[in-house]
Amino acid sequence: MEKIIEVKELRKEFKSHSSRSGLKGAFRDLLTRNYKVIPAVNDISFSVKRGEMVGYIGENGAGKSTSIKMLTGILTPTSGAVRVNGMDPHKEREQFVRSIGVVFGQRSQLWWDIAVQESFRLLKKVYNVPDEVYHDHMSHVIDSLDIGPLLDKPVRKLSLGQRMRCELAAALLHNPPLLFLDEPTIGLDVLVKLKIREFLKEMNARYNTTILLTTHDLSDIEALCERVVMLDEGKIIYDGGLSSLRSNWGEGKQIEFQFADTAVTKETLQPLLAEMEAAWTPGGRPNVWIANVLNEEQVISEVIGRVVAAHKITDLKVHEISIEDIIRNIYEEGVKNG
Amino acid sequence: MKYTQLFFQYAAQYMKTRLTYRTDMVVEIVSDLLSQAVNFIFILLVFGHTSMISGWSREEIIFIYGFFLVPFAIFGAFFNIWDFNERYIVKGEMDRILTRPIHSLFQIVLERMELESLFGVITGIAVMFYAGSRLDLTIAWYDPFVFVLLVLGGTLVYASIFILIASISFWSDSPTSIMPMMYNIGNYGRYPVNIYNSIIRFLLTWILPFAFVGVYPAAYFLGRENWYLYAFLTPVIGLVFFLFSIFMWNAGVTKYRGAGN
Repeated sequence: MEKIIEVKELRKEFKSHSSRSGLKGAFRDLLTRNYKVIPAVNDISFSVKRGEMVGYIGENGAGKSTSIKMLTGILTPTSGAVRVNGMDPHKEREQFVRSIGVVFGQRSQLWWDIAVQESFRLLKKVYNVPDEVYHDHMSHVIDSLDIGPLLDKPVRKLSLGQRMRCELAAALLHNPPLLFLDEPTIGLDVLVKLKIREFLKEMNARYNTTILLTTHDLSDIEALCERVVMLDEGKIIYDGGLSSLRSNWGEGKQIEFQFADTAVTKETLQPLLAEMEAAWTPGGRPNVWIANVLNEEQVISEVIGRVVAAHKITDLKVHEISIEDIIRNIYEEGVKNG
Repeated sequence: MKYTQLFFQYAAQYMKTRLTYRTDMVVEIVSDLLSQAVNFIFILLVFGHTSMISGWSREEIIFIYGFFLVPFAIFGAFFNIWDFNERYIVKGEMDRILTRPIHSLFQIVLERMELESLFGVITGIAVMFYAGSRLDLTIAWYDPFVFVLLVLGGTLVYASIFILIASISFWSDSPTSIMPMMYNIGNYGRYPVNIYNSIIRFLLTWILPFAFVGVYPAAYFLGRENWYLYAFLTPVIGLVFFLFSIFMWNAGVTKYRGAGN
């Protein structure tokens, strides 16, 4: 399969000056400045095939935005090679951006004061989309995003959810084969999120659109992406399937007990799990304790049996370890067991 | 070709937005016309007290001022980039600009146009006709064409200086304070440059060539033959500076750091 994005040893450094302390320091700063070179993106390499939906995750400041901006031609890399849709994003910017769609969740593509359809009309001219192609494609997009009734309203009168759906439609107006979404569901309610996810899946199925998605909401990733690329301090710390992430790090289950008796402490519970690979953690609420155990039938039933025999309980839940927990673990422990 | 089409699309959209607020529109036009009329009277009053400066008569100075208003109005209508740093760099709007398939500077021109400024062209021409009739200037058939050419040259000079200053924003964080200063220096181009000392004259001709917006091109219409060389250099200087400023802009875009979010 052809590669849509190819990144090799990509690096972006920012120079920032660190000021010395005190008034004396300020005067010295005037004469000679201390520059620190900080690599925001530190020699990363990866590639994305056509039709893939990739989740791009990392904490704030991990280098997500900077690398996305290099992939979209906004920033010039310090070193390394980027090929996206067969082009160099920065050098052939004007030609290149015709082949991508971009949604920045915190920034609007649409004109604030004019009706949505007027914005679309201007963008249609900007991207030089022929009439027939536009009507064909956009009527479908407008239907699936259900924004028909919003078209004659000015953007400033739309709610965030309505605006986001229009932003998405605007980004797809020229039907690009590659879509970059930076926090597309930030601040949206569940229904709008679901609608947007449905829509993205549909675009991917219908046009084989490749999607690169950054988000803090991991449920977006779980719903859409089979593959995740995880960044930390400018480096890729994990690149692979979401499912293997779960099987490598999320082997265990969590059994949550709510005890009737208020005197339960870690010390009284500890002996119950003796000689088993399990550990107790507090559940966050009074009288709730969680047993972290291996995902094996025997172990699970054994633990439940022992606990229930020893203490009265009012509630019991069995959880699979969530992707969020897994990712938190990875950031805390690093990738040593990968 | 495509850029011309886009220009008219944006201009039409601009008018439409203005028309949706009908009362605002009327009030604005009336106030624009009024302020231009006040401007006109003000010019006459100010220059009423001068007679001859360095061999230029009062009417000639008024004429130069009138000419200056024309390129200045066109500049004001299309190059509102005095707040480029805050609006596009600090707020990160440049990100959006750079994801569209049009030259970034042209997009900013389209987005920031303020067509009301063009009323200044009317005032400028009115001032020129007023001064011209008192000077008994005659208009040859080719004068309107020369006028257009010189006005375009002057506009380009003005635009390039401001584009150059805006480009600094790509490298440094604080060029904003230079902008108001530039507007002040720009005003020196309204007066005959031979009233200044030679250093300032050199500065206004070759470094910050504001003299090419006012006095040099106007000298052509005033029949000052010893200034003709400078008058006809106007489009050349305009073009050279404009190409240079575009070059610097393009270089600056590669240095764009983006706004952190």
